[in-house]
Amino acid sequence: MLVAVSGALARKEPAIPTTAARPKQVALVRVNVTGQGYDYFRPWQKKAPFSKRALGAVLPKGRVLVTADLVTNQNYVELERAESGEKTAANVRVIDYEANLALLEPAEKSFLDGITPLEITSDTVVGDRLAAWQLEPTGALLATEGLVTTVQMMPYPIDVGQFLTYRVSIPMQYRENSYTVPLVKNNKLAGLLLRYDSRSQLLDAIPAPVITHFLREADSQNYRGFPSAGFSFFPTRDPALREFAGEKGKRGVYITNVEAGTPATRAGLKVGDIVTAVGNHDIDENGNYTDPLYGKIEFTNLLTAHAYAGDVVPFHLERDGKPMQLNLTLEHHDTKNYVSPPYNLDEPPRYYVLGGMIFQELSRQYLKEWGPNWQREAPQRLVYMDHFQSELFPDRNRRVVILSQVLPANSTIGYDDLAYLTVKRVNGKEIKSLGDLAEAVKQPVEGFIKIETEEDPKQIELDASQVAAEAPALQENYGISSLQRLQ
Amino acid sequence: MKRIFLSGYVALFFASLAYAQEGTPAPPPMEPQGPQRTGPWKSSPPAQEVVPVPVPIAPPKPNGPVQKSLVRITATSVDPDYKAPWNAGSLQRGVGAGFVINGNRIMTNAHVVANNRYITVERDGDPNKYPAQVQFIANDCDLALVTVPAKDFFKNMVPLKFGGIPALESTVSAYGYPIGGERMSVTTGIVSRVDFQLYTHSSVDQHLAIQISAQINPGNSGGPVMQDGKVVGVAFQGYSGDVAQGVAYMIPTPVMNRFLKDISNGQYDEYPDLAITYAKLQNPAQRKYLGLVDDDRGVLVSSVVAAGPSDGILRSGDVLLSIDGHPIASDSNVELDGERAQFEEVVERKFKGDSVKLDILRDKGPMTVTIKLFKPWPYSIQGHTYDVRPRYVLYGGLLFQPLSLDMLEAYRTSDLRLRHFFEYFILEQIYLVHPDVIVLSNILPDPINSYLTPYKGAIVDEVNGKKIRTLDELSQAFAQAPERLVIRMIGDGPPLVLDRNKVETARERIKTRYNVLKEQNLEERPASRIAAAGEKN
Repeated sequence: MLVAVSGALARKEPAIPTTAARPKQVALVRVNVTGQGYDYFRPWQKKAPFSKRALGAVLPKGRVLVTADLVTNQNYVELERAESGEKTAANVRVIDYEANLALLEPAEKSFLDGITPLEITSDTVVGDRLAAWQLEPTGALLATEGLVTTVQMMPYPIDVGQFLTYRVSIPMQYRENSYTVPLVKNNKLAGLLLRYDSRSQLLDAIPAPVITHFLREADSQNYRGFPSAGFSFFPTRDPALREFAGEKGKRGVYITNVEAGTPATRAGLKVGDIVTAVGNHDIDENGNYTDPLYGKIEFTNLLTAHAYAGDVVPFHLERDGKPMQLNLTLEHHDTKNYVSPPYNLDEPPRYYVLGGMIFQELSRQYLKEWGPNWQREAPQRLVYMDHFQSELFPDRNRRVVILSQVLPANSTIGYDDLAYLTVKRVNGKEIKSLGDLAEAVKQPVEGFIKIETEEDPKQIELDASQVAAEAPALQENYGISSLQRLQ
Repeated sequence: MKRIFLSGYVALFFASLAYAQEGTPAPPPMEPQGPQRTGPWKSSPPAQEVVPVPVPIAPPKPNGPVQKSLVRITATSVDPDYKAPWNAGSLQRGVGAGFVINGNRIMTNAHVVANNRYITVERDGDPNKYPAQVQFIANDCDLALVTVPAKDFFKNMVPLKFGGIPALESTVSAYGYPIGGERMSVTTGIVSRVDFQLYTHSSVDQHLAIQISAQINPGNSGGPVMQDGKVVGVAFQGYSGDVAQGVAYMIPTPVMNRFLKDISNGQYDEYPDLAITYAKLQNPAQRKYLGLVDDDRGVLVSSVVAAGPSDGILRSGDVLLSIDGHPIASDSNVELDGERAQFEEVVERKFKGDSVKLDILRDKGPMTVTIKLFKPWPYSIQGHTYDVRPRYVLYGGLLFQPLSLDMLEAYRTSDLRLRHFFEYFILEQIYLVHPDVIVLSNILPDPINSYLTPYKGAIVDEVNGKKIRTLDELSQAFAQAPERLVIRMIGDGPPLVLDRNKVETARERIKTRYNVLKEQNLEERPASRIAAAGEKN
């Protein structure tokens, strides 16, 4: 067996299959996480604790790379040396939920001493063989080889945009701590397991270019996240559409939507524009450019893995048949700027309890409380509002406040069945956030709090003094620690 | 009374209620969604009170020679094919029951004879099959009248008389031909509950129905349910065995009588409706706010449908205090003939053109309003339709159809936007802007539409800059098309662009390749009339 392989050695002998180059001291640690999710149905409390066991890839500068999913809602993260079982607490230094990556740092700096960190290789292409590194209970390395079958843009679990993904055909075996599994090429980190389907034996991996992007951002003072441009597009395969849009000679994609307040709007991109090139890369009618490494791949790769927030990217387009150039200054699309945020993690949900009525803001996190099939099982009207939020609320500068449920109490008698109603006005004041609602309820009209809803019954009245008098009993009865959380 | 669509609760009905007609499969569930809901409330089975039922000691009173009134109806029907609407549709055959009433008429369920092409009836002790015709059909309350032209058919037949609403726990007997049998079958049970129920035949109408514990199975449909020698109901629907057992429903005599009275002028005018939604007024603070005295009366008007009779008369926030002089309790009940019933029952017993008088409270001031009743049209898309040909326009291999329950079920779509437009068609007054919600429902592949698959399921908004409100307007826009057609769909997405000349050259090709007999049908013509016209030619 070879002694720990240095990066230089591996570069010299790329022909050696990974399994043969098995290092003695693998750059892996076990990561044990205990966490608690927030309970969106009982927003004042947390759910029962869960624990997850995974592997982390040891990187230079004493850092450990894992998926964001692993350490989301964590209370306690612990690193464990594979061979000795030695443990230490760890902190989450940077987390990016959209790219599903997180960096951990051991509390004890010397904890990772003696482990040669993994270098990162970004040259993986279709046809390469990657080894999935897992640990046997003894701490020995279990390496399984697979073939990279596809490199393409795919949605990540959070489902905000698409990211570059490696698809690997690989017969993975179950081991404890298989939650996060590094994929290695010539003893260098090539990717991190994103999801695995044991039936088709297909593994999707977060590829090195995305990891590199994340690490580079993480090194800067202020982590900004992956950039976005703020438009949607449609391929122009249809010659009739191309002709209608005035496309001349060059192919490209048809812009179908430009979201308010995004780089695309600021740069002046318009619906109906045909984007023919981004930077130096021509875009074909399917929306692909020719990548030197991967060949044809969707051009959004140029705006995620290849670009950083703050970058200025020239867009070449045709508008009414005339060529134009627009410069988009990319930026990260903060979840706070959504009407219904796509995710709220590691932060408690906002809510307001008023005499047994629970008010919350619509968010995808709330809808996901209905489980993996939330799109079909959650209240369909709310799913509709979340899905079409940019169309329904084009000015964006608001939240949707919902009366999510009613806890039976004296002040809410007869209202017990109300649920999932969107609040329009309270005491005559328009409600665009939970903060608005908290303010408006303080000003009852002639002793009544009047709540107007978009849906039937359209109006609900409460006796303000009764609500106030009943509050302590309500808290006691239903174990509500606090009647509101507005941050 | 119309059922207002609200997601979640609806699925339960679609999944579980089945027709009691042999040969007709249960309506497909709207969506593969089980009745259990995850949500803030952990689902637990509703608490069921255990009520001991006295076992009848004496046998039920004989109902007389029901054989002399009962007929076995065999109907061959053609159900339209919404996915290929130019086709005649699929052939079905079903058996149901019916019974003779005065005037040499046979009463049965609408779903036994809906979409029929040929009906025969048989009677006990007679080997002949007699061709029959549907005289009147009321799909909104699942009743129909059938006549037999053959002379002497009704000779020796005994017309049955109607009773009233049987008492709870009293014994009733159901007659019919369940599970394909040729001989009459009798089952008995007791009256379990009298309440408003969804009539699944239309899937949008709710009327009074009586739940009985007698076994009702496919083939019982349309058969009489008897007590003391009188008809007290028509067996019509139940649950499939895996959902609930010993739960069957019959149409009670008030609904039957109303149907007979409605047709006495020679046509069926359907149920009128107030076309409002309302909320119970059980919250003391809300009652005080609205200025109600503490007498447990009144319901709150939530929405008023603009296409309905209450538009401009009632408005959201009004409190309904009494209807035709019957005080409305805060839980929406009135007392009618000594029985408590939902206040809509007052409207239920009325006819098109009748008026209803409401005492209301508006801005704390009392008022009396009179509403002339009719049936608002937008509900029709949310229910099943029968004896009509599906409307569609086929252009360039693109099939455009107006959104309806039948169409949604045929395509079993889970499209969020389509489902929203369907469910909120009335409550969000979508029908005012889109009387027809025109969906590009299907594409017959051809070289001229090879790139158009992504548009499937989209809703047409405008053609060449002109808003399209109805299927007729779409058809006209296509007929008057300039060289290029630009069809905008609702929502984000590029326009669908068609070259008229290319469409014209592809027309015959597509028609031949897919055996399309007719490129459009704009009118909902009763299929039976089409058949009759065909016979004359």
